[in-house]
This record gives sequence, structure tokens and C-alpha cells, in this order.
Amino acid sequence: MSIRAENLSYIYNEGTVMETYAIRDVSFEIGDGTFVGLIGHTGSGKSTLIQHLNGLLKPSRGTVYFNGEDIFAEGYNMKALRGHVGLVFQYPEYQLFEEDVLTDVMFGPKNLGCSDDVAKERAIRALTQCGVDEGRFDRSPFELSGGYKRRVAIAGVIAMEPDVLILDEPTAGLDPHGRDEILGMISRLHKERKMTVILVSHSMDDVAEHADKIMVLNHGELLFYDTPREVFKHAAELESYGLSAPEITYLAADLNAAGISVDPSMSTIEEAKEEILKALGR
Amino acid sequence: MIRDITIGQYYPVDSVIHRLDPRTKLAGTVIFLISLFVTSSPVGYVLATLVLAGVIKLSRVPFKFMTRGLRAILIVLLLSVSFNIFLTPGTTILKIGFLRATKEGLILAGFMGLRLVYLVIGSSLMTLTTTPTQLTDGLEKSLRFLNRVGVPVHDIAMMMSIALRFIPILVEETDKIMKAQTARGADFDSGNLIQRAKAMIPLLVPLFVSAFRRASDLAMAMEARCYHGGEGRTKMHPLRYETRDRIAYLLMFVYLALMIASRFIRFRLF
Ligand SMILES: Nc1ncnc2c1ncn2[C@@H]1O[C@H](COP(=O)(O)OP(=O)(O)OP(=O)(O)O)[C@@H](O)[C@H]1O
Ligand SMILES: [Mg+2]
Repeated sequence: MSIRAENLSYIYNEGTVMETYAIRDVSFEIGDGTFVGLIGHTGSGKSTLIQHLNGLLKPSRGTVYFNGEDIFAEGYNMKALRGHVGLVFQYPEYQLFEEDVLTDVMFGPKNLGCSDDVAKERAIRALTQCGVDEGRFDRSPFELSGGYKRRVAIAGVIAMEPDVLILDEPTAGLDPHGRDEILGMISRLHKERKMTVILVSHSMDDVAEHADKIMVLNHGELLFYDTPREVFKHAAELESYGLSAPEITYLAADLNAAGISVDPSMSTIEEAKEEILKALGR
Repeated sequence: MIRDITIGQYYPVDSVIHRLDPRTKLAGTVIFLISLFVTSSPVGYVLATLVLAGVIKLSRVPFKFMTRGLRAILIVLLLSVSFNIFLTPGTTILKIGFLRATKEGLILAGFMGLRLVYLVIGSSLMTLTTTPTQLTDGLEKSLRFLNRVGVPVHDIAMMMSIALRFIPILVEETDKIMKAQTARGADFDSGNLIQRAKAMIPLLVPLFVSAFRRASDLAMAMEARCYHGGEGRTKMHPLRYETRDRIAYLLMFVYLALMIASRFIRFRLF
């Protein structure tokens, strides 16, 4: 289930004074089962970019291929594509509308043509995966707390059982505990179901833990698309674009400066632990 | 799709028209609208067209923004034009079944259509060059005399400015929710009328929920800042007429006078 973008550009309000280049000539390929972290500061074009991947926005120039097929070609089955590429928007809780949680989550699978029974089964599975307990299934989604609304909304997309799951800042506005839970859930989906995941964030720490590859956008241009280790080697450059490397990278630099030699490109807590133990000779 | 709504859509460029006092623009719009109804002679329409074209040029707003508003009144336009063509008595020029198109009808329909189109373009021009805040400030100040007969002008103006402010927000919100539901496989563009109406539920429910939430948040924020109506409230940018406004008023009255005069020009084209 590979996704390939070719010379993608998108201009908002083309031809008026409010014209903005949101993304500019972006090309990349995301292989099957990869976990990609998409990073960039506010307004760098992350949300715009991902909306092209399931055909919600039509590029001003360039195109997107899904499994080798041009999704913007005449007659391409967009509805089927939306079943394969699930997109969870920024602050997805505003999309809730049904009378109870379970029915709301069943909306996606039913749109894909699932029967009520199958849709219900999928919805229950998705809700459980997202950490929503059975006691909340028949509550109104509007009565839930913000964190649970978020989970229900994410479950609404996961219940469609997409091959590619794209999440736009799913942890924005959550407490650290909620953030860890959501990230953990995404990482599990990626491992267990071999889902391709694209996680949008502006925090390197969110992404460094789980991502196989990191994509960095700056003012609509693709700066880096590489493994976290490679990308974090450019910590100084990232900083000049208003981004920071993960805390661990700074720790590595400090340790090295203090004469404890560790791999400067370590980026997760696991790696850091091993490196430090090694440096201390244990 | 939904972004075609132009009312309350300000087009941010700097031009003479943008810099005019909102009261001047309001008066200008009203005078233009009146002028369309005082004349029915071709000379008058040529003059109106020239003036409209001139003001559009001065405003530096691209022409296609003016015509966007027309889409909304397309049906009204078609209906009124065809009623006029077929229901005006006079010399028959075309017969379709029991319908008779008359020469008088055609002329009347032409003027009628032009009037409607100019009405919409004229008012779009005002909203495109005036921010909602300026617009309501202008209205509030121009209509303040109504206070004396017990009309709560300030409150109405405040409601209007909030409503105008919310239009683009709600349009954006609609767009966002539509996209989110489309990503969940919803389909807004196909099916019969009943299916389409049902497809609106996933859009309308979240939209209403968010509109009510925004309204209540705003009410709370206003109260937290001690809003208590217009009594003794001062303006950050008080409206003041400049030289360009005086010139504009002068030109407007010259224009209106010419339009009235054109009524009396006997022009035999037909
Ligand atoms: N609907 C729109 N109309 C006009 N311009 C827009 C619209 N949406 C986004 N933009 C502009 O496009 C650019 C990219 O916006 P985008 O929302 O993709 O950024 P982002 O990286 O997702 O930012 P954030 O981290 O704040 O979510 C910005 O300059 C923004 O102002
Ligand atoms: Mg965004």
C-alpha cells in the first residue's frame, strides 16, 4: 500500500491577493507498513499536505499515486480510497454527531457498505482499542470529556480499518497521560495490524519514539525525509527552522560535552539507556 | 464549493474605495440603488454601467469576486426575466404554445435583469471593500437618530456585526466538518433528494453544536469584559469624514442628478 507524491504543490486562493503557497513541489514515497512522523512548525503546510493523500484537496500542481494509481485521474474510485486511507483531522471531536457513541463510530464502516452487524463489531473493536470502555458506548458523545471525545473520534476512523492511518496532531490539547495513551494505541495498531501510519506533530519527542522515518516541512517545502537518526544529526539546522530535536538528542550532546562519550544521534529513551550504560562500562 | 458566498467577505487590498468612510460608501450604495430605479432610459443605464465599472476599477477588487454573489440570485433572476418576457402585453414577436413573448416584455426584462445584476454587484462592492466592523460602525452612526424613537440602534448594530463576523467562521467550519465526514466515507454530492437531505445530518448537527458553543463562549467573554450595551461606550477608531469623502459625496449627487435628468431624455432606439 505505497503512497507516492509527485511534485505536489497547493496554493490557497489562487489568483487573488490572498494567494498562499501552502506546499511547494513536494515529492516522496511512503512504503508499506512504514511509520512516518510529519513535523513542521505552525503554518508549514502539514495539514494541507495530508489532505491530498486521500483526495480531499486537489493539488494545484503534481499528483499522488496510491498503489501506483493516480488518485486524481478521471474516474478513480475516491470512496474506495477513503476506505484505504483513513484521515483523522486536527481536533477531530467536532465531527461527532450521532445520539450515542457506538452509532457514531459505526458511521464510517456503514458508509463503506458494511452491514449493521459488521459495522457494530468493527466499532466495538475500534472503541476498545482506543481505550473507550463499554460503559460509555451508549452515552451521548457530546456528554463525554474532551479526551474521550477525541478517542471516540479517532475510533470512528479506525473502525473503517484503513491500510494507511493519517493523524493530524492527535495529541493536541491532551494531558501527558492522554498523550501517551493515544501514541501507544497508534503504535500498537502499527505493529499489530501492520498499518502504515503518518503522524503529524510539531513535537519531535512525540514522533522520535515511534517513527521509522521523519518528514520535515518548512514553509511548504520538504526539508528532510529520512530515518530519525539521520534527521536529528541536523539538530542545529532544525533549530534554525524553529523546531527542536528530541530532548534525548540534547542530553547526548551534553553528555559528550561532559566527557561521557555516547552516540550523538541517539533519539529514543531505550537507545539512550543502552548508550549510557555502555559508556559507563556496565 | 461553500466558499462562494460573498456577503460579508472582505477583500483586503488598499484602495481609495477601501479608505472611504463607511458612511460614504453606505450612502453611495443607497444612491446607486435608487438611481437604478429612477431611470429607465438607455442613457441612464450606460451612465450607471460606466460609474459602476469606474468604481470597480478604483477598488482594485478583481471582477470575478463581484459576480460570485450573482450565483445566489440566479433563480430569482431567471424567473423575473422570463415572467417579464412572457407576461407583458404588447407586440408579439415569438409564440411558444400559449406563451407569447412580446417586444415590450423583452425590453422590460432586459432592464429588470440589469437592475438586479447591478443591485447585487453594487452591494457586493460595498461589502468587499468595507470590513464588517466598519460597516456596522457606519450603520450605527448613520442611523443613530432612530434612537430617539426608541429603536435600540447600538444593540442591532452589535448583533449585525457579530452575525457578519460569524459568517466566514461558519463557512470555514462547514468546510472543515464536510471534509472530516467525507474522510469517513460520507457522500454529499450524489443520491436522490431524500438521501441528500439525510446526508446533511452529519454536517448540520456538528455545525449547530459548534455555533451554539461559540455563541455562548462569546456571550461569556463579552460579559467578562463588562459589556453592558452602547451607553457611554467610546470608539477606538471614531469615524471622521476626510476630503475624499466630501469629493465622493459631491460626485454621488452629480451622478444622481444626471440619472434623474436622463429620465427626461427622450431616446428613441426602439
Ligand atoms: N482554508 C485556507 N485558506 C487559506 N489559506 C489557508 C487555509 N488553510 C491553510 N492556509 C494557509 O496555508 C498554510 C499552511 O497551513 P496548514 O494548515 O497546512 O499548516 P499546518 O502545518 O497544518 O499548521 P498547524 O501546525 O498550525 O496545524 C498556512 O500559511 C495557512 O495560513
Ligand atoms: Mg495543521
